Amino acid sequence: MRRRSPWLRAAAIFAYAFLYVPLLIVVVYSFNDSRLNAEWVGFTLDWYRKLASDTQMLTAAGNSLVIGLVASFVSTVLGTMAGVAMHRQRLRLLPILIFAPIAIPEILMGVSLLIFFVLLNVTLGLVSVALAHIAFCIGFVAIVVRARLAGMDETLTEAARDCGASPSRAFRYVTLPLIMPGVIAGALMAFTLSIDDFVITFFTAGAGTVTLPLQIYSMIKISVTPEVNAVSTLLMLLTLLLIIMAAKLSPSLFRSEGEAST
Amino acid sequence: MIARILAAAFAVGLACAGPAHARDELHLYNWNNYIAPETVKRFESVCQCDVVQTYYSDNEELLAKLAAGATGYDVLVPTSNAVQALIRGGQLKPLDKLALPNLKNVDPAYLNTPFDPGNQYSVPYAMSTTIIGYNDEKIRELGLPTDTWAVIFDPKYLEKVKGRVTVLDSANELFAAALKYLGYSANDVDPAHWDAAAAVIRKAKPYWAAFNASSYIKELTVGNIWLVHGYSNDIFQANQDAQAARRPFHILQGIPKEGAVLAVDNMVIDKNAPRPDLALKFINFMLDGRNSADLTNLIGSGNPNKDAMRYIKPEILKLPAVFPPPDFQKKLEQLKDLTVAQRRLRNKLWTEIKASK
Repeated sequence: MRRRSPWLRAAAIFAYAFLYVPLLIVVVYSFNDSRLNAEWVGFTLDWYRKLASDTQMLTAAGNSLVIGLVASFVSTVLGTMAGVAMHRQRLRLLPILIFAPIAIPEILMGVSLLIFFVLLNVTLGLVSVALAHIAFCIGFVAIVVRARLAGMDETLTEAARDCGASPSRAFRYVTLPLIMPGVIAGALMAFTLSIDDFVITFFTAGAGTVTLPLQIYSMIKISVTPEVNAVSTLLMLLTLLLIIMAAKLSPSLFRSEGEAST
Repeated sequence: MIARILAAAFAVGLACAGPAHARDELHLYNWNNYIAPETVKRFESVCQCDVVQTYYSDNEELLAKLAAGATGYDVLVPTSNAVQALIRGGQLKPLDKLALPNLKNVDPAYLNTPFDPGNQYSVPYAMSTTIIGYNDEKIRELGLPTDTWAVIFDPKYLEKVKGRVTVLDSANELFAAALKYLGYSANDVDPAHWDAAAAVIRKAKPYWAAFNASSYIKELTVGNIWLVHGYSNDIFQANQDAQAARRPFHILQGIPKEGAVLAVDNMVIDKNAPRPDLALKFINFMLDGRNSADLTNLIGSGNPNKDAMRYIKPEILKLPAVFPPPDFQKKLEQLKDLTVAQRRLRNKLWTEIKASK
């Protein structure tokens, strides 16, 4: 398939436009010299200046970031373990336990977690929010990792074992590198889910804990200013940086080798 | 390697997450942009403490969260009917009036309401009315009245502004306006009257551009929408924005002669407040005229504080929707909570309205 059809190209352009134009608009309007996100008036950096002195917004963004990183890290470790366990053993109960949080309506999960934390006397704050996010992210990571494992050649691990590697060494040096793209994809997914979650965060956040979605949502009533665009732009940049960094550190991560040869 | 980076970020995150706070903290659970930043600073320097704010955007959010057992808040700012629900749920701490000498500043017209007889738990903070907002240029051109709900509900007027009108996306607010238009109380619960109100709304619906509770401020400012059923604060905000953007028109407030809904937000103390002492100090501070006036000057909210009048900008003082003259004040009503059966009926009517063509 050397020659690509123009239709395919058009479809690709349309799909990418659909994904990225809204983001681009957010970025462009963060430089707009008007309180209203309605029409272009002129270029300004005022919203970034305003953001730099808005401790509340920055705290919210910082909280979101910390929670996102912690939740994605922990849920990736646990989710990978769960994914491997589900792939290796034919367990009946584990998949139900792991996937249930994905299927449960968010509002239900939020309220139940809140009641649970109150029962346990956990002070509501960053920790409770992070725990809640970990709880619902594990399932997503596990799904991605399990899918990756299903496409992996099992004989490779067996070969390592035959050559005398202990189970942990075989996992560390053979299985893990092979499923790494799945693990990274799971981590990125967990990060995204965590950073934009509203419902569960709303219920599990305590007095004084504000995340970016909570902050923005509470501003909707009084109309959102381009300061929100500014902070969103910075977050996008940061996320992009994170992905580039991950890709630089391990160039094979985002390539799906393997598929081509089989 | 990635794991190591994430681990490092985790460590940094934890370090940032737990700063060792020695200063006292007052936790205020409030609407967003519902206290002036300079007021917060002033209170912080008076009490030698930090004000930590968390926000909600709907009374139901606040009620749901407290009902599920969330704690850690000192002062809450719910609307009157939510105050009543909180009192019924035993979630508030009675106020120690001796610690509130500034209570004398509050206009008695806003005290001792049926929502909290004797103000055992709550004191009024700020208020808004639900009125008509309009683009002065366009509405004058079209020769439409702005002092009656008819302009929102009567097809005779609506056909001239078809597609340029929005109403609030709130069953309670819209029914209240329709009931007022028909000459009933906003709190009327007679099902026959509700049917009549629903019929009025259904007949007007094809002329409206949208049910909108959030972006109509912007639409008014930009000039896409010329006439709204909306909150006085929002319409004030729309005009401020329109002037800042140097629009050729003004967004004005029209007060309907049939009457309107009044929403009063009140300061109350959570039963489980970690610092009830600071909470009382804060409430008394906010009852001071100057501090109370800050908010009105910022967002154009109504103010129940008599002592605040001398600090409020004269152009806001003369807005009848913000400071209702006595004859309009008599026709203002605060919405009462509905019973479960009533709420079910209203939801059914509302769904039918939303689904109708």
